[in-house]
Amino acid sequence: MIHDEASLARLALMAQNGDRSAYAVLLAACRDWLFRYYRRKVHPDQIEDLVQDTLLSVHRKLASHEPGRPFYPWLAAIARYRFVDHLRLAYRHSAQTSLDEDMGATEPGDAAIAAKMSLDRLFDSLPMGQKMAIEMVKIRGLSIREAARRSGQSESLVKVNIHRGLRRLSDLIEEA
Amino acid sequence: MRQTTDDVIGQLVAELEPVAPLNQRSGMGWMLLSLCASVLGVVLFVGPRSDLLSARPDPVFLIATGLFFVLALASAWSAVDMARPSVGIRRSGWPWAGMMAAVLPGAALSLIALNLANGRVSGVDGHGWACTLIGMGIGLLTAATLLFWMRRGAPSAPHSAALLVGVASGAAGIFAISLCCPENNLIHIGLWHGGAVILTGIAGRLIFPRLLAW
Repeated sequence: MIHDEASLARLALMAQNGDRSAYAVLLAACRDWLFRYYRRKVHPDQIEDLVQDTLLSVHRKLASHEPGRPFYPWLAAIARYRFVDHLRLAYRHSAQTSLDEDMGATEPGDAAIAAKMSLDRLFDSLPMGQKMAIEMVKIRGLSIREAARRSGQSESLVKVNIHRGLRRLSDLIEEA
Repeated sequence: MRQTTDDVIGQLVAELEPVAPLNQRSGMGWMLLSLCASVLGVVLFVGPRSDLLSARPDPVFLIATGLFFVLALASAWSAVDMARPSVGIRRSGWPWAGMMAAVLPGAALSLIALNLANGRVSGVDGHGWACTLIGMGIGLLTAATLLFWMRRGAPSAPHSAALLVGVASGAAGIFAISLCCPENNLIHIGLWHGGAVILTGIAGRLIFPRLLAW
């Protein structure tokens, strides 16, 4: 069932006042919306974990919803934050797993691969220069100078590519 | 065995306690309280400017201090608002206040460049760094207050929020020290007072995001 904005805002206010029945309805509506939201962004195996994480954040940060403001934009901001955090953590873990695998230490996990696929799906929409710059500096932690040397771009171009690429990724993530 | 989402919802519902919604005015109230404490502390410790005591303040002092005060309020207001996330909200007030305050360091740099170009001494005083350091130190109280309050919320753009906390705390600290600093020289105000706000903005952007993560 899809609730309208006004009833959700009312339910959120009742939940802030401690009404458990209203809260159960509100969380169920959040769950449905979050499943739809993440379906287009992450691997199916990871959707339920991410929905649960986001519901926990909704619970912990319920006070940050201002009565009178629309509810869905608030929920979308929470969901986007958790999604970006999930991508960052999962991609780091994925990079570490690949490294371990190269060294023969462990098998790569399905979750890590799925996370990498999610980020790769977003990365695919970026031009090559932006993708390389972000991956080298923001994910692998290289300096701007080192990234410029390895990618054959000038230092200023690396900076511009990171800036534009991150903005583009942010826009993609924001698109519900 | 992994919990289903409905199990998680059931647990969260059982744990629900009434919560007071974060109120932007309460955040600003705390910020203003910390600013008052900073002003009181520095005025009692260092003593106010002599022209304030004689109720004949210098116009340059009034304009510059007013700009820093407005910048502190505007950036703190935006930072506090960021603790209550929402997609699609634009917070465009504080950059205008920032640009107004940036006129001061801009004017100072222009004067220094003109002085040097005309073969005169630059006009930079060597002791001005004390204002920068003390202003930044005093601003820590405002920064701590804002961070503490914002951690109760959910800043979904922690880097921007951190930058704003840095700018607000620097502007608040410089506002407080300006009430004691005897200088009316635009180069001193633009360079050392304006510089403090720029430095706290950079420091905030680098240091505070991890404190605002949730």
